[in-house]
Amino acid sequence: MDLKQSMLLLSSWIAQIGDVGLDLLWRFVHIVVSLWYIFSGIFEAIESYAISLGLIKKYSSINFEKLRCLAVVVDIEEARDVVNVIDLLQWLTTIGVNQVGLFDTQGLLKKCKDLILETVPGSMLLEETGEKDLLPDRKRIALEFISSSDNKEAVVKAANILLQRYLKSSHPEKEKGDDFFTEPHLNEALRVVGENVQPPDLLLVYGPIRSHLGFPAWRLRYTEIVHMGSLKYMRYGSLLKAIHKFTGVHQNYGT
Amino acid sequence: MLSLRVPAPTSFDFRRFNAGGLDRRWRLSRDCLFSLSPDFAGRGIGFGVRSAKSEMAPFTAAEEETLPEGLQPELMPKHVAVIMDGNGRWAKNRGLQPWDGHRAGVEALREIVELCGKWGIQVLTVFAFSTDNWIRPKIEIDFLLSLFERTLKSEFDTLAKNNVRISVIGDSSKLPESLIEVINEVEEVTKNNTRLQLIVAVGYSGKYDVVQACRGIAKRVKDGEIEVGEIDERLIEQELETNCTEFPYPDLLIRTSGELRVSNFLLWQLAYTELFFAQELWPDFGRSGFIEALMSFQQRQRRFGGRKS
Repeated sequence: MDLKQSMLLLSSWIAQIGDVGLDLLWRFVHIVVSLWYIFSGIFEAIESYAISLGLIKKYSSINFEKLRCLAVVVDIEEARDVVNVIDLLQWLTTIGVNQVGLFDTQGLLKKCKDLILETVPGSMLLEETGEKDLLPDRKRIALEFISSSDNKEAVVKAANILLQRYLKSSHPEKEKGDDFFTEPHLNEALRVVGENVQPPDLLLVYGPIRSHLGFPAWRLRYTEIVHMGSLKYMRYGSLLKAIHKFTGVHQNYGT
Repeated sequence: MLSLRVPAPTSFDFRRFNAGGLDRRWRLSRDCLFSLSPDFAGRGIGFGVRSAKSEMAPFTAAEEETLPEGLQPELMPKHVAVIMDGNGRWAKNRGLQPWDGHRAGVEALREIVELCGKWGIQVLTVFAFSTDNWIRPKIEIDFLLSLFERTLKSEFDTLAKNNVRISVIGDSSKLPESLIEVINEVEEVTKNNTRLQLIVAVGYSGKYDVVQACRGIAKRVKDGEIEVGEIDERLIEQELETNCTEFPYPDLLIRTSGELRVSNFLLWQLAYTELFFAQELWPDFGRSGFIEALMSFQQRQRRFGGRKS
């Protein structure tokens, strides 16, 4: 075998050894990354249980000044299991949340409204509450039941109110519409059709889809949106952590 | 605590550690570290280093075919929306002026536009300037609008050659005349392009869009253009500013800088949009972040409010 052939063979062996070495290195990195994810998941679970047991002090008291209104979006399949929704509401009452909007696309929770109000201690309909009912020490929770009909359909109804006012104005041919169609006008018209226009400060999404699933868009301008995973696997610690994290958020509001 | 961003869920869900999910993440990591594409090599290794290119690289037919491993062409979103947040913080973290952050943001946008064009995404909507941003210092606003004008002029030829259609939505009443002229020219010249539609939202907000749609319908009724007893959803959707595209509803919304809000962007249109909140500041959001967002989109179960069959 001459020198040239030997060199070719040697370089081939070196290349193969190099490939095997790189492959082993890459697999090692893969294992390290996989283990990291496993351990981070274990850590999160342990942390969640520790929070539930009150072992982590910073979660033991929450400043609710920033959280006047919480909204919960529940995937339609998960909304069928009302027991989980009731558990969630009981946890929110324990945490100290005063006002919760419950949303699912098809209004299943609206249909179970009576059951929920009977089962969740201290709960009442938002439209029936007064100021005193929602004081922090009252351990009451005002519930609002929302569905897709409160989203685009409601905006359409409100827009029609404004349209009728516009067409009935004394000089419609001179009006450009700027005096009739503004954000405050649409807000007012939405109230007229019975909609709550108060924007939730925090929106928790339970379900497999990371989307707000058609929650009334008009209310979502600066709402914090957090995906919590499946309602079946919800944990008190995770809920408390999400709310606590929200209270530390600073918003610029465009500045 | 789960933000709307993979890979950290709140619940310890063993289903996440399935072979398929890990394998895709593995391929993503490999793609990010060992990508040999010329544009990646030219941009550095993703530690906030980005070369200041003078113009976008042309898309080629060959590059369009090569999606990163792990992304499936049939599951690519048709319409991606982006809230480009974090330019100011990026500059502040480096001891730079806000306008340096905005310039870096333009570079990031160039990269994403290129990738969208290569990977078959048909519409990219970017939130450049909100109605709520008018309260920022005048010097910053003037810089932003002049940067937008200069970028449109400098990128116009390349975008036109790459068959990109440009549309600008938002309230133009407060924009400088020179910018409005450039916008009109660019929109007119590119209106027949079909490869990618880049929609830039300037002076835009979701609430403004709904209100102007209602106002527009009322005017058409008053003028006798349409005879309707009532406004309906279909009419509003036809009047929204996103009626400039065949796909007005984003499949995926990406917001950078770790903020978990939509901030008055495309409110009507986002009902069933997948939300992806990335931790990186916008100037640092590049190919790897975009791949991660797309992979996350492709993995997620999507139902449009209906029942499982």
